[in-house]
Amino acid sequence: MGKYILKRCGYIVVVFLILSFLMYSLYNLIPTDPARQELEPQRKGLKADEYQMLYQQLRKEMGLDDPLVVRYLRWMGLWQDTDGTFNGVLEGNFGYSNLYKRNVVEVIQAPMGNTIFINIFSTIASLSITIPLGIYCAVHKGKRFDSATQVVTMLGYSIPVYIIALIFMYIFCVLWRVFPIMGQKTAGMEYANSWEEFVDMLYHIALPVIVMTFGSLGGMTRYVRSSMIDALSMDYIRTARAKGLKEKVVIYSHAWRNALLPVITSILGWFLGIFGGSVIIENTFSLNGMGKLYWQGLNNMDFELVLAIQMFYSIVSLVGSLLIDISYGLVDPRVRVDK
Amino acid sequence: MAKKKGFFLTRWLKRGVMGSDQEVKDIMQEEQVQTPFRTMLRNFLSKTTVRVGLVGFFLVFLFVLIGPRYWVLDLSEQDSTLINLPPSQNMMSVPSEMKGKIADIAAGRTYGVGLDTDGKLHTWGYTRITEKINVADIPKEVQEADIVMFAAGDDHVVALDKNGQLYVWGNTRLQQGNFTSDMKKKMKDPDESWDIIQLEASNQFSAAVSSDGTLYLWGNSNLADIKLRSQYQGQVAKVALTSNEYICLLKDGTVAYTGFKDKGSAFAAIPEALKATKVVDIASTSSTMAAVTEDGRVVVWGNDKNGEKSVPEFSAPVKKLYGGRFHYTALLENGDVVCWGSNKYGQCDVPAAVAHGAKIREIYTGNFQNYAVMEDGSVQTWGLKGFILGTDNLGRDLLTRIVNGGRVTMTVGAISVIIATFIGVVLGGLAGYFGGKTDLLIMRIAEVVGGLPFIPFAMILSAVIGSRLDPTQKMYLVMVVLGVLSWTGTCRLIRAQILAQREMEYVTAAKAMGIKEGVIVFRHILPNVLSLLLVSMTLDFATCMLTESGLSYLGFGIPLPTPTWGNLLKGANNSVVIQQYWWQWVFPASIFGVCTICINMIGDGLRDAVDPKSAER
Repeated sequence: MGKYILKRCGYIVVVFLILSFLMYSLYNLIPTDPARQELEPQRKGLKADEYQMLYQQLRKEMGLDDPLVVRYLRWMGLWQDTDGTFNGVLEGNFGYSNLYKRNVVEVIQAPMGNTIFINIFSTIASLSITIPLGIYCAVHKGKRFDSATQVVTMLGYSIPVYIIALIFMYIFCVLWRVFPIMGQKTAGMEYANSWEEFVDMLYHIALPVIVMTFGSLGGMTRYVRSSMIDALSMDYIRTARAKGLKEKVVIYSHAWRNALLPVITSILGWFLGIFGGSVIIENTFSLNGMGKLYWQGLNNMDFELVLAIQMFYSIVSLVGSLLIDISYGLVDPRVRVDK
Repeated sequence: MAKKKGFFLTRWLKRGVMGSDQEVKDIMQEEQVQTPFRTMLRNFLSKTTVRVGLVGFFLVFLFVLIGPRYWVLDLSEQDSTLINLPPSQNMMSVPSEMKGKIADIAAGRTYGVGLDTDGKLHTWGYTRITEKINVADIPKEVQEADIVMFAAGDDHVVALDKNGQLYVWGNTRLQQGNFTSDMKKKMKDPDESWDIIQLEASNQFSAAVSSDGTLYLWGNSNLADIKLRSQYQGQVAKVALTSNEYICLLKDGTVAYTGFKDKGSAFAAIPEALKATKVVDIASTSSTMAAVTEDGRVVVWGNDKNGEKSVPEFSAPVKKLYGGRFHYTALLENGDVVCWGSNKYGQCDVPAAVAHGAKIREIYTGNFQNYAVMEDGSVQTWGLKGFILGTDNLGRDLLTRIVNGGRVTMTVGAISVIIATFIGVVLGGLAGYFGGKTDLLIMRIAEVVGGLPFIPFAMILSAVIGSRLDPTQKMYLVMVVLGVLSWTGTCRLIRAQILAQREMEYVTAAKAMGIKEGVIVFRHILPNVLSLLLVSMTLDFATCMLTESGLSYLGFGIPLPTPTWGNLLKGANNSVVIQQYWWQWVFPASIFGVCTICINMIGDGLRDAVDPKSAER
C-alpha cells in the first residue's frame, strides 16, 4: 500500500510539472513585454539610444531573452534567477497581481479559503444525500418513489447550474425573501465577535451551497443507484440472502461495499465538476472565491494571478485523484495486494 | 473473396437495418429472428420518456432550424424605445369601451392614449415607464377636467383642458412637467389669450403652438434643443419634433429650423426644393424631417437610416403627412394611405381596408404604431402590436434571439461532439487494440485531460487564444476547445469495448486472413461498438451544449452580440432582471432546459435499448 501511494505521488509530481509547463507556455503566447512596461514612465526623460540600452539591460536582468524552459524553471523556483537566488513558486512566490497591486499570494488567500469551504461543504452535503438516496432507489427499484427520483435527477443534471441558481434566487430571494440575493456579508455590518461574522457568512453562502448541492445531486444519485443495482443482482447477494442474513446486512455490508468501487471512480470527475461549477456559482452570487477571482483576472488580463489560480485548480485535481486512488486502495483489496 | 459493393458506411447501415444478406428460407424463422437493430429500435421506442424526448427534441430542433428564416437576426439591432418590454400583443388594442366613439388618439412610445366622445381618457399597451411610474395612472384632476387636446411622448403625456390648463403625467422627473414662466402666467390668467392649436410631445420634451403663432417648448433641456430664435416667435403655424430637435412650419408657408444648433444639426439645411414653393404640412421621424408642398409632393431631409428618403410615387397629391419613429404615413387627396420607411415591425403594411379610398376621418401615427379612425367610428391599426416573448435590455426581440441563439448553441454542441468523438475513437481504438506502451501513454493523457476542472481550463483557452480572434473565429475556437477537452469519456469507452471485442472469434478470423491491424480495428471492430458510441454521443451532445452555455454565460464562450442560449442568460444574474424582467431569463432558460432534458431522455433510452443489462436497472 505504501509503495502504491509513493508511486502515485511520484506520478502526480510528474503530471504537475508537465501541466504547469504547458500552462506557462500557454501564457507565453500572449504578447507582453514587462521590461517595456517598467521603463514606460521614464521614457520621456531618456534619449532614444539611452532608452534602448536601459531596455536591453532590463530585459537581461529580467531574463526575458532566455529560453522558455529556463524561464519556466525560474518561475517554478528550480533555476537560479539572474541575481543568483531561487525565487519561484516552490519558494512561495507566485508573482505580482497587476489588478490588485499586491502579491498574488496575499490576493488569493481569503478567496481560496472561501472556495474550499464552500466546495467541501457542498460535496459533503450532496454525498450525504445522494448515497442514501441512490441506495434506497436501488433497493426499491421500479417503485413510484424511484421513478419520481429518476425524473427529478434527470432534471437536475440536464439543467445548467446557473439556471437552477436563477430559479432558486427567484424563489428564495424574491418571492420568499429568505436569503440575501448576493454577496458574502451584510453591507456595512460591524461584527461584535468572529462567531457573529461566521454566522453572517453562513447565512450568505447558504443559498449558493444549496444550489451547488442540488445541481450535483442528479448525476451522483443515478450513479450510486445503477452500481448498487448491479451489485444487488450478483450471485453472492442471493447466497447471502439464502444464508438468512438480515436484509440490512445484505444491503449495507455485502452489496454496498461492492457497489462502492465504481462510485469512488466517478466521485473524482464529479468533485472536479463541482469545483468547475463553483466558478459559475461564485459569479452568479458574487461570492469572494477563487472562481470569481479567476474570472476577474482573465477579464483584466492579470495573468500572473490567473496562472496561480490555474495551479490551484491543477493541484486540486491531482490531489483529488490521489485521494481517490488511496481510498480505492482502501476499499478494494486487490489494489492493495497487486501493486 | 467477392468484391463488396458500396461504401462501407452504407453497408453497415444496410446490415444493421435489414440483417445479413442471407436469404430467409422459412416464414417461421423470419418471424422469430429479429436483427439486433430492430430489437433495439423496438425497445427504444417502447418507452414513454423516449417518445416524449424525441417529440420534444424534434420540436425544438425544427423551431431552431426553421425559425431563423422567419425571425431574421440583425446583430446591430437595438432600439432605446423598446427596452425591457414584457411579452404582450396589446400595444394597439384600443379598449372596447372606446370603440365607435373615438374622439382623439395619441400614440406614445409603447402605449396609446385615447379620448372618447364622453370626454373620458383611456390608455392601452405597455404603459409602465419605471417600476413606480405608469402612464395608465391618470391623475385625478385630469380625469375630472374636460380634456380637449393631448399628446403622448416617450415617457410622458401632455393634456390640455377646456380652460387652457395644461397637465403632464407619466415620468416628470426630468423636467417634463416644468412649464415656462409665460406658460404659467397664461394658464393662471383667464384674460390672456391662450388658444393652443397644436400639442406635441417627444423624448422628454413637449411643444405647444398657439393660434397667434407663439411656440412654447418645455422639458429636459439637457437632452433636446428646446429654445426658439426670437425672430420666429409669433410666426409658427405647426411644429414637428424628432427625438431631440424640432422644426417649424411658419405662417408664410416656409419651413425653418428655429433652434440654436444650426450648423450642428442635419435639419438646419432645408432642401432647396422647398424654398421655391409653399409648404402646407410637416412631419418628422426620429432622425428625418418631411414637408408636404402646396402641389402635394413630399420632400424628406435629415439622417436617412431606414429608407425614409425613398419617397414612393403617389397616385394623387399628398394631403396630410404623419411621422412615426422610422416611417412616414401619408394620406392622399383621393383617400389612399401610403407608408414608407422602415417596415421592420410591419408599420408600413397598410391594411387593405384602409389603403385605397376608404373614408378615413383621421390617422394617428406614433413610434411604430398607426391608427386610422374611419368615418363610421371604427378603428384600423397596423404596426407593432408587441413582442411575443418581450424584449431585452437593448430593445431586441427576445424571440428572434432565442431562435437564432438555439441554432448557434446546437451547432456548437454538435460540432464539438463530432470533434470529441473523432479524437476519442481514434485514440481509444489505438489504445485498446495495441495495448502495451501505446495504451499506457494514451490512457495517462486521457487521465490528465479528464482530470482537469473543465470550466476553468476552457475559460483560459478561450481567453488566451481567443484574445486575437474575431467573433466567428471565436465560435470555432469554442467548438475546438470543447471537443479537445471532452474526448476522454469516449476514448475510455471505445478502449474498454475494443479490449472486450479483441478476444472475439471474428477478430481471430480476420487476423488469420491476414487483414491489417488498422483495418481490423476501424472496420471490423468499430461497427460493433457503433451503437454504444451513438449513446455516448447523444449524452455528450447535451453536455457540450451545457458547457458552451456555461462558458458563454461567464463571457468566455461565444461573444455578444451573437446570441446563444448561454449568453442570453448572461445579463440575467442581476437582481433587477430577476425580479422585474422575468421574461428575459425564464424563456431562454426554459427552452434550453427542455432541449437538454429531451436529449438526455433520448440518450438514456438509447443506452437502455443498446445495452440490455442497463435496461434492467
